[in-house]
Amino acid sequence: MSGEPREVVRVADLVKDFRVGFGIRRQRILTDVSFTAHEGEIFGFIGPNGAGKTTTLKVLMGLVRPTAGSASILGRDVSDPEVRRQIGFLPENPYFHVFLTAREILDFYARLSGVEARRRADRIEELLGLVHLSHAADLRLKSFSKGMLQRVGVAQALIHDPSVVFLDEPMSGLDPIGRREIRELILGLRRAGKTVFMNTHILSDVEMICDRVAIIVKGSIRREGRVDALVGEGRFGAKVVVEGLAADAVESIETRFPDARLLGCGEHVEIELPQKEVEEMLALVLRSGGSVVSVARMHASLEDVFLDAVRRAEEPR
Amino acid sequence: MTKSLSRIHAVAANTFREAIRNKLLYMLLGFSIGLIGAGVLLASLSYVQVSEILQDVGMAAIRLFGAGIAIFIGAGLVHNEVDRRTIYTILSKPVSRGEFLVGKWAGLTVTVWLQLLLMAAAFVAVSKVSGAPVRVEHGAAIALVGLELMVLIAIATFFSCVTTPMLASFYTFGLWLIGHLSRDLYVLGQQSEQASIPRVTGWLYAVLPDFEVFNKTLEAVYGLPIRGDEVGFAVLYASGYSVVTLVIASAIFARRDLK
Repeated sequence: MSGEPREVVRVADLVKDFRVGFGIRRQRILTDVSFTAHEGEIFGFIGPNGAGKTTTLKVLMGLVRPTAGSASILGRDVSDPEVRRQIGFLPENPYFHVFLTAREILDFYARLSGVEARRRADRIEELLGLVHLSHAADLRLKSFSKGMLQRVGVAQALIHDPSVVFLDEPMSGLDPIGRREIRELILGLRRAGKTVFMNTHILSDVEMICDRVAIIVKGSIRREGRVDALVGEGRFGAKVVVEGLAADAVESIETRFPDARLLGCGEHVEIELPQKEVEEMLALVLRSGGSVVSVARMHASLEDVFLDAVRRAEEPR
Repeated sequence: MTKSLSRIHAVAANTFREAIRNKLLYMLLGFSIGLIGAGVLLASLSYVQVSEILQDVGMAAIRLFGAGIAIFIGAGLVHNEVDRRTIYTILSKPVSRGEFLVGKWAGLTVTVWLQLLLMAAAFVAVSKVSGAPVRVEHGAAIALVGLELMVLIAIATFFSCVTTPMLASFYTFGLWLIGHLSRDLYVLGQQSEQASIPRVTGWLYAVLPDFEVFNKTLEAVYGLPIRGDEVGFAVLYASGYSVVTLVIASAIFARRDLK
């Protein structure tokens, strides 16, 4: 028996073109997208707006057909309806039949998911409690706030106790308390052995709860790996704050240290640079008549990794 | 099979719940009952065949407004689910697109049949008040309208899968009109001396719906018998045409990207 974690979501060389105009022209949305998510992990799928995150998720949900490549969940192709017995899906800004109450809509999804009649009522109560909506169970959804609808969305995604849960922007529209609750819920799913696939813009949440991530930019995967590994590869190792540098000294620093990032100008300058260049930089600052205010070790954040991936994707080839 | 029926039932019940909240339904229902009642006024303009005029207007109102409800609600049946994105969560469950379509069609068909019952009740009430006879043929003729509407909803569902509600209404209404003329077109074509015309009209007649199969108004109003085999054929025709239309709609819808 191998120690390798089981692949739950596998996307290989996925290409998606949409027809535009009168259907004559094709626009490529996804180009050779490949990644894998493993059993029991929280997988973050991140990227800027229009990068192809939602299209990828729609391919996985069978809502959109791939132009080329393959996508499978739990070893079955996503076109196989059997796959959907084992997955739950929360779309971005979920929309529901607002003439129904929270209890009625969950009953509807439970019926569609094949939840046995004798278990249905208990399961609905359990989920309403889990997403803190027991008090609003019999109110029509049209009176719900965006955050409450998001909670209904989470509840419907879990109604049939799926083993893989796909969440598209699960924190969208939630206040800080709601975000924390959803975060706890996602962590609870992982504790229960479920795999969570999460599309999101909120990198702090990803950094906090995801085990692995894939970064998609302009329809292609730019980075994939464990969050700690990606963050550990960060470019910036230290932040040096200096004062009293003349303009020509600032220019010479920019020329001498092309990987350094300078923030501010004039009297007070912050310089972010790799750890190995710190000593040389300090010497140059002192030689130029500047004074060092502080030197701090700086860990790259996922945001740095993300912005770096976006920047590289936008560089001309 | 049982699970599939259970999913279709869930979608149908939800469609029914949604449809009965549509204000357009009540507006059309109100107009139809108004027109059935207005038959009394129209009939009063004549000294002869008062009951026949009253019931002719009533039956026409039932057919016309039943078709109106089927077309205008049916045309947005699938498109609205896609447009409002409510379909995303539905199709992420183990529901095939075919089951979804059949459920939508069944839900609206039941809604329209319920409206038909209300219009039939208004028809009977107006007939009784005016002293016009109410026969079993009236019931049969109204039931046949129900079958016609079942086919019409299948056609509206088909167009709702492929285009906007406005265009779907337009196309469905067009097919409804043509469907009441397709038999005449066929008969005319058979009389043509050009060899190709009978072939073309024959082909068109095979593809286009023939809604005159369901039109037994004359028999009902004038007390003529409606034969069992005619009703049996209408049931088979309605079932067959609906199934074929929904199968084609499912095949097209299954290939559609839900962006």
